[in-house]
Amino acid sequence: MTAENSSTAATVHASAHKLFSIWRTWAIATNTFRDLVRQKVFYFMLVFALILIGTSLAMASLSFQGQLQTVMDVCLGAMSVFTMLLAVLSTAMLLPKDMEDRTLYTILAKPVARFEYLTGKLVGVTMILLVATLLMTAAFCVVLHYWQGREIENLQLTETAERAAAAIAKLKVGTFTSTLFGGIGIIFLRAIVCATLTLMLSCFATSWLFTVIVALMMILAGHLVPIARSVWQGPVGGAMDVPFHLAILVRLITVFVPDMQLFNVVDDIAVGASVSADVFLRVAGLGAGYVAIYLLVGYLFFAWREL
Amino acid sequence: MGTPAIFIENLTKEFTSPSVFARDKITAVDKLTLSVEAGHVYGLLGPNGSGKSTTMKIVLGLVTPTSGRTCIFGRDSRDVESREAVGFLPENPYFYKFLTGSETLDFYGRLCGLGGKMLRDRSRELLALVGLEAAADRRVGGYSKGMLQRIGLAQALVQEPRLLVLDEPTAGVDPAGSHEIRNLILRLKQRGITVMLCSHLLSQVQEICDRIGIMNHGVLIREGALEDLISIENQTELTIENASAALLADLRARAEDAGARVLGAHKPQQNLERYFLEVTGERK
Repeated sequence: MTAENSSTAATVHASAHKLFSIWRTWAIATNTFRDLVRQKVFYFMLVFALILIGTSLAMASLSFQGQLQTVMDVCLGAMSVFTMLLAVLSTAMLLPKDMEDRTLYTILAKPVARFEYLTGKLVGVTMILLVATLLMTAAFCVVLHYWQGREIENLQLTETAERAAAAIAKLKVGTFTSTLFGGIGIIFLRAIVCATLTLMLSCFATSWLFTVIVALMMILAGHLVPIARSVWQGPVGGAMDVPFHLAILVRLITVFVPDMQLFNVVDDIAVGASVSADVFLRVAGLGAGYVAIYLLVGYLFFAWREL
Repeated sequence: MGTPAIFIENLTKEFTSPSVFARDKITAVDKLTLSVEAGHVYGLLGPNGSGKSTTMKIVLGLVTPTSGRTCIFGRDSRDVESREAVGFLPENPYFYKFLTGSETLDFYGRLCGLGGKMLRDRSRELLALVGLEAAADRRVGGYSKGMLQRIGLAQALVQEPRLLVLDEPTAGVDPAGSHEIRNLILRLKQRGITVMLCSHLLSQVQEICDRIGIMNHGVLIREGALEDLISIENQTELTIENASAALLADLRARAEDAGARVLGAHKPQQNLERYFLEVTGERK
């Protein structure tokens, strides 16, 4: 029988067990990606975001602000909200669904470490977030390109050739900037942080609804972290008089909730501010730190969880 | 005697009651000790809630024991490496509905470190082994319960494990499918694969198991070779073909003369499963 012939080879191949295998993690990641691509929530949210990005020009014509600024504001805002929601909603279902369908048993009964399973799930979600971000970025670029073309036509019609050429050169330099794409990178990173936070919560939560609600609350509370930190540390030159229960709450927020204000550098980019490479690196480093910590804490919960 | 396929020593598992107000301890498995020899088919029996599934989950490293230890071929079953030698089919398994039968086996094969042509060949062989060649490219979401059970068995076998753990392998499967699974288990046994199974179908357990353990309330109440446990020591069954009435009367008289007592004489019956398979023409 051929099954018997291949048995030795199969056993030999499988016997070289590694503590962490990229191969196994990748198998789980690609499977998770395929699972998420089939979820209706992905298409629903993506289409909604694309419509919002597509209609940003129409919104810009109604706005009193500069058109480029309004387009940037609407598009980056839509990308931020939809990637964060997609991260939370798609991640919250992963573990409970595998547990309910008992597919988790069949996976973990193979030589798969729980850390590999969790990492694979996170990589799968990251892949879907990357696809969503790239599609939204493509739509955003199309909108910007169309706006730029229209502006160039206007300048050519209304200005002298010399002034139009200078204005067009300035426009071209100021539209598709590296800062803009850095900002999109930060939006993507923020979505990964939200996904990892949700994954960590789902490692001990008993229902996906609880996970979604707590994750969204933590993300919202994340915008208050700098305020909480200032209350905890107190103003320079004197301690703040804070009631005990508030002090405990403030400390909990500061320690466990991600500082979402960090990522608000995207808002500065939307209003046309230039952001230095140092700021990007700092945000990227802290974002990666949050991902590592939440993944580790999630693993510790998951490792002790009875299945 | 070689290293046992499964070795369980003084295993206890307590669960804490989920109630916030009464944090009682529930003992699911109580000081269980047993050993399954390599190459045997072992049946773990017991009523619902007797601790069979918990024991299996501990053996597979899915649940942490409160005390005691379990080993698979000498390796602590909490070590991930120990599961290289194990295939598991849970009760009523569901797989990713968006995958086809063939993709499901590819996925589980990749988790075991298999890949490329070797994995493709292995998938094809296993699909043939469980009789799902025709449904290989159909999505698992459209599979019947019996087909799910068979693809479950195939995924359990994907890395050619030395130990197969089956939780109710024939639950919800029709008699023909059930018969196929039973034959498959016997073929695996011939190839030296150890099988540990939980089943409520006692007639089937009786047909395929070498040894059984009976659990109740988390305690192993009986354990041993099947023949030793169920045979009646002071009785002998004699099956005779083409015996005349006179011969039977003579035998009865001789037995009584020798001080033995004939408890009954009846025509042997084939079991209902065999009769059903013959009638429906599904017996192979």
